[in-house]
Amino acid sequence: MSSSYARVVKSTEIPSGGRKVVEVEGKAIVICHVNNNFYAIANRCSHAERPLERGRLGQGWIACPFHGARFELATGKAMNLPATEPVVTYPLRIVEDWIEVLVEAAPPSGG
Amino acid sequence: MSTDTLDKGQARCPGAPSTQDIIAADKVTAPGWVRSESYQFLGDADIPKNRYIDPAFAKLEFETLWKKTWQFACREEHIPNVGDYHVYDLGPYSFIITRVTDTEIRAYYNACLHRGTKLRASGTEGSTDEFRCSFHGWSWNLDGSHKETVCHWDFPHVKSKDFALPQARVETLGGFVFINMDAKAPSLAEYLGPEALAHIKAWKLENRYVYLHVAKRLPCNWKLAIEAFQEAYHVIETHPQVAPSNGDANSQYDVYGEHVDRFISTLGVVSPHLYGKISEQDILNQFTLGDSSALGDTKLTVKDGGSARAVMAEMFRGMFEKATNTDLSKVSDSELLDCFSYTVFPNTFLFPGISLPMVYRFRPDPRDHRKCLYEVLFLRPVPVDGSRPMPAEAIRLEDHQSFKEAAGMDPGFGGILDQDTDNLVLQQEGLEASAKNGLTLGNYQEIRIRHFEQTVDKYVGRKA
Repeated sequence: MSSSYARVVKSTEIPSGGRKVVEVEGKAIVICHVNNNFYAIANRCSHAERPLERGRLGQGWIACPFHGARFELATGKAMNLPATEPVVTYPLRIVEDWIEVLVEAAPPSGG
Repeated sequence: MSTDTLDKGQARCPGAPSTQDIIAADKVTAPGWVRSESYQFLGDADIPKNRYIDPAFAKLEFETLWKKTWQFACREEHIPNVGDYHVYDLGPYSFIITRVTDTEIRAYYNACLHRGTKLRASGTEGSTDEFRCSFHGWSWNLDGSHKETVCHWDFPHVKSKDFALPQARVETLGGFVFINMDAKAPSLAEYLGPEALAHIKAWKLENRYVYLHVAKRLPCNWKLAIEAFQEAYHVIETHPQVAPSNGDANSQYDVYGEHVDRFISTLGVVSPHLYGKISEQDILNQFTLGDSSALGDTKLTVKDGGSARAVMAEMFRGMFEKATNTDLSKVSDSELLDCFSYTVFPNTFLFPGISLPMVYRFRPDPRDHRKCLYEVLFLRPVPVDGSRPMPAEAIRLEDHQSFKEAAGMDPGFGGILDQDTDNLVLQQEGLEASAKNGLTLGNYQEIRIRHFEQTVDKYVGRKA
């Protein structure tokens, strides 16, 4: 299994309070910008597997627009029902204004 | 003159200037809502103690009082955009407060009309274009109209027009969203009355934002918690560290109609209990602020012949302007310094001052009449550049934690709240242990408690 940071979007393209969905290694990820911090969280609610991308961003959380489960952006931890399981989050860094996300590549199939 | 010869309720702290005398001597004149009095003697009989210790009384309150009164549910800034919602819970009741259009906010009873599941978990907020039940997927549009019944073929008896989400009434004032479950209740303006309404409108609290929000469960009945904050009579014994800079025994108390009362407690002046023992410089040195982070490390000094209050007003204006990036040039000394505490029945306190820019909210615990939820929100002026910061997330303290542990809480003020909490557990237990059946109140300094309890009586006497 290999992994390396992938450039996904320029930080200047996501204003404060904004978000953008990117795809890395076949995984849909929401890049969120809240209070001068950027976060990378999987675009799939752990409760009913609906996309989180249109969810409201609060102080350090995103709320699933379908049933209202909230998740901590930094850890993916579920904050309230109906979710109890976490959502995957990804390490994120900014290099030369570029947001880079670390996603472990899926192991080769077959063989 | 002996105070014994006065009519009941007319006596005031002997040998001390009145609150109005202190404010009249200030350099920048206070507005009319500060320079007015509205005290009323309301009797001197004991308050029966069962209302604080009897679970049946708490049940009665849920069935009557809480269903008929206007309650602060959230700030408008908690739901700034269409589709944003905030869940407000009160005892067994729960409401989804949501912005339906730019100008309309609604409060839906938070329960699916199929088999009753909450549509949103308690204590949460978010944004959506439909309220969809997590159990079977029944859904409602933002305007409350019924959107979809999954497997509609099995529910021919469900007519969409009959399945709109039930609503509580909603009104906004000063950036606060108030709700009322009673369709026949008076409007919020009638409920507050013209004078209190004029005061609240004058503060323009819509131009503030929640800078800090702390919540903690308190070990007492909700009314005991509220009443601990309705008088400055306890300051000298409970908060001796504050008395050197607080006109406690000469604070002013007012009542407005059935639902609003207040005190004005001057700061930057010495307690009448300590006359002759404290210098003007001592007053400055021991002044305790609710939001002292705005002051930084600045030290204040009283020049010869000057007063601590005058120095503080002058310095505060400049420092708070700088720290909060706002224009305070027309704000009076009194508004900058003093503690204005208003109760809006049943559970909201508004403090429109600058040094203690707070809101309190109290809610009973539906499972235990000896517990309640206390919240303090600090409201700062919105910066002059017009940018509105996101409201602070509530910091939820555990029962054993000190208020000083809440990040951003002024440690001096956190210590004051801890002192109040310690009294409250002793008061709850003491009332239960007491051989005496009622609470005895001062005619002036404790008038807000009597006023509050008389309104409680009116509501619990009116069966839903």
